Amino acid sequence: MPEKKERYQNRIELLQGTLDLLILQTLQWGPQHGYGISVAIRNRSGEILQVDTGSLYPALHRLEKQRWIKAEWKVSENKQRAKYYRLTAAGKKQLSRELSKWSQLSDAMAGVLNPDET
Amino acid sequence: MRPWFWRRKAREAELDEEVRAHLDMAAQTAIERGAAQKEAERAARREFGNMGLMKEVTRDVWGWRWLEDVVEDVLYGLRMLRKNPGFAATAILTLALGIGANTAIFSVVDAILLRPLPYREPDRLVRIWESSPKRDVVRNSVNPRNFLDWHDHADSFESMAAIASLMTNLSIHGQPIAVPGMLVTPEFFSVLRVQPLLGRTFNAADGIPGHDHGVILSYELWQSQFGADPGIVGEKTDVNGGPGDVIGVMPKGFSFPGIKAEVWTPLALTAPEWREGGRFLTAVARLKAGITLEQARQDMLRVANFTAQARPEGNKDWSASVFPMLEDTTEGVRRPLWVLLAAVGFLLLIACANVANLLLMRGAGRVREIAVRSALGAARSRIIQQLLVESVLFSLAGMILGLPLAHAGLGSLLALLPQGAPLPRSEPISIDEPVLVLTFLASLFTAIVFGLVPAMRLSRVDLQKALKQGGLRGGAGGHQTLRRSFVVAEVSLALVLSVGAGLMLRSFARLVSVDPGFSREHLLTMHIWTSPARYHDDLARSQYFARILAEIRHSPGVHAAGSTHILPLTNSTSGSCFWPADQPAPTPAEAPSAQFLIISAGYFQAMGIPILSGRDFEDHDTFHSSPAAIVNHAFVSRFFPGQDILGKRLRVCWTIETPVEIVGIVADARQADLRGAPEPTIFLSNSQAPMYFATLVVRAVGDPRQIANSVQAAVHRADPDQAVSDIRTMETVFSDSVASPRFQSILLLAFAGLALALSLTGVYGVVSYSVSERTNEMGIRVALGALSADVVRLVLREALALGAIALAVGLAGSLALTRVLKTLLFEITPTDPITLAAACSVILGVSVLAAVLPARRASRIDPMVALRYE
Repeated sequence: MPEKKERYQNRIELLQGTLDLLILQTLQWGPQHGYGISVAIRNRSGEILQVDTGSLYPALHRLEKQRWIKAEWKVSENKQRAKYYRLTAAGKKQLSRELSKWSQLSDAMAGVLNPDET
Repeated sequence: MRPWFWRRKAREAELDEEVRAHLDMAAQTAIERGAAQKEAERAARREFGNMGLMKEVTRDVWGWRWLEDVVEDVLYGLRMLRKNPGFAATAILTLALGIGANTAIFSVVDAILLRPLPYREPDRLVRIWESSPKRDVVRNSVNPRNFLDWHDHADSFESMAAIASLMTNLSIHGQPIAVPGMLVTPEFFSVLRVQPLLGRTFNAADGIPGHDHGVILSYELWQSQFGADPGIVGEKTDVNGGPGDVIGVMPKGFSFPGIKAEVWTPLALTAPEWREGGRFLTAVARLKAGITLEQARQDMLRVANFTAQARPEGNKDWSASVFPMLEDTTEGVRRPLWVLLAAVGFLLLIACANVANLLLMRGAGRVREIAVRSALGAARSRIIQQLLVESVLFSLAGMILGLPLAHAGLGSLLALLPQGAPLPRSEPISIDEPVLVLTFLASLFTAIVFGLVPAMRLSRVDLQKALKQGGLRGGAGGHQTLRRSFVVAEVSLALVLSVGAGLMLRSFARLVSVDPGFSREHLLTMHIWTSPARYHDDLARSQYFARILAEIRHSPGVHAAGSTHILPLTNSTSGSCFWPADQPAPTPAEAPSAQFLIISAGYFQAMGIPILSGRDFEDHDTFHSSPAAIVNHAFVSRFFPGQDILGKRLRVCWTIETPVEIVGIVADARQADLRGAPEPTIFLSNSQAPMYFATLVVRAVGDPRQIANSVQAAVHRADPDQAVSDIRTMETVFSDSVASPRFQSILLLAFAGLALALSLTGVYGVVSYSVSERTNEMGIRVALGALSADVVRLVLREALALGAIALAVGLAGSLALTRVLKTLLFEITPTDPITLAAACSVILGVSVLAAVLPARRASRIDPMVALRYE
């Protein structure tokens, strides 16, 4: 059992920054509930990124605590009561900050990994 | 807390619903793709992962997590306690004993050693003594003229006062009473910075000879003797036969450490009668702000040096020493109290070891529970936390139960102290807030000490083994080594305590079997102090004492009576110098010195001290006849060995100016205390060198308490106004004089007894557990033909092995630790072989005793039952 816990924590660390970015980016298109967010990320990534719910919900609550997203209970299209998260103004700013940080990082990574291209 | 807790509950429910919605939607999607309802739900759940863990991590994000966990653990722990009342009671009771005993002793240590003195800015208070490195004297009372030098020339002190303690005769409404009093120089109250409750304290004018009639009363005396009369200030009262004006009343509880006083009168040191005289003052001073102790010491060395040069006759090789008042006050009790605190601390450690073992033992039964929790995703740290919370619960329960124990213990502790003897500090000793805070911290510490190791060990479960059916004791076997180590540790500590208690006990037995040189049975003693105003004339005073004794000797039931100016075994001495009359006078600093006692005729007879040769003082040794002296055997062997000194004449540095003739030699007797060997002593007659006070010793035919009233009546026949105080039998004086070693012995003995009892249960626990674990093996042994004696031997061997290891460890510990007892022991060395041997046999005895029940159980093992067991 202890090993399992270890692995879990590693994954959280791996996704820490990027998961937040993915969530904020997903919410840019409108309010969404937890399940919807995980489906959206999976679909947009071409089934490559599997969002672990064990990371997703803590991340949602963390972002909510930072006041980047706000939650409210709504009824879904299937008449299902669900908790919808939406981006706040502060969240939008945070998203653009994260995005520019990410493009810097990916440029830098690309530069390191493919030095011939430049 | 409540709103927070409720909000928390709401969020909890919300999270549940959020998760449920997620699962429903996932299942819905699967059904839409054609899966069966059940199948879809299961898939959604599987995909979701570890739900409990996810919720926990999410809750972590909310914060406050640890507090919530603690609340949960506390509730859980309380449930566990209720489920195992026997176990809980044992553990809590053990802890209550340890914590209670520690609280009681700590309250004494705190009140006496740690609490600041009850005056303003107590850190600046110091005591100043005369000291003489050459004579190996660090704290000696102070000579009046030297004190005046210090007072006038030292620069480091804001104020400085001298104190002489004396019984004081007050006449209240014509009724004489003798109360302990202090003669103080006027600055006394400003040194301590205390304000009176009524009236005023002394000012400089009160210290001028002839104007020194002011009297200040203690609150208690004002209450008991003056009916708390608010108009008391300005009243007249006779003090020691002279006029006195009540000028003030001190607040309740005001006292000076180590000196009992109900009344304060001015000490006019510049009066001619104080010009000479020996060293008898106590000096107290307040340092100027910013002056360090070291600066004050240097300053006093300078002033004392000046005194020694200005008046070398009495001061050659004398200097001065300065000590913080708190340190000085607690000088004699510091070591014994720290020893007791250490001993009781050991007791707490032993209790901890016992409870740790109980936890391990119970933990063996909880391996399944812990394994299940662990399998469900509880982190190890989380399990440790839960187990520690349980420990803290035990500890706090132990504290709650321990406090009444401490209270009762403190009561009986204080009852052990002699009534009259002043403690170094007179403030009440009680279990107050600082003590409670420390007890609370000690309990938490205790919980960690006994809880951490078992928690670490128990949380390391082997899941495979533990969860396997039938593997009920999985992983518990390894704990036995740990438990044995705990038992060895506690038995070793118990041995150290037993050795300490044994040493103190043997030392005490030696002390009380010392032959004091007089017989203490049938003796009544009482103190009288004559009024200088009434009997100022030396002749009148000497006749007065003789008249009192004559009246007493004629009372019924009196066998003999005499007086001495200092009663034996009261820790007081008086000494002075002398030299043979046929030799030129040496300087006082170079003259030999001896103990001086001023006694009456009949003193030796009353005390039962044999006269070896010559004679006692007799009626014809009057104030006007040629002065006589008696010396003791120690005096002869020290100064005139092998010589016949009867008839020899000495000059003495006392009130008698003419040479005294040695008329008798008496056997040695102990004077200041039982410990010290008899000192060379010169006895002078109270008829020829009359004192202002005396302690009467009256030998009764029967019970000395029966004649107390008739002896007092006899005193009052000589003078109806004579106050009598301190009426005690010599047995009481004797027993009070050994109160402190008795106190230490009894306490150490009690601690050692408790330690042994706890060790007994500790060894019992381990051995009986190991018997139950080996039931199977023993069954096989019996089946194969082992006799029950063999099985018993097997069990005893385990107990003895534990005992033997503990002996080795404990002996090493004892040898290292009992050295601190050295100065407390009388005629016994810390490595006293008899004590060590006795303590070792007690430990082995306890080990065997602990194994008796398990051994009996083992010897009755039925192989059939034992083998069916697994």
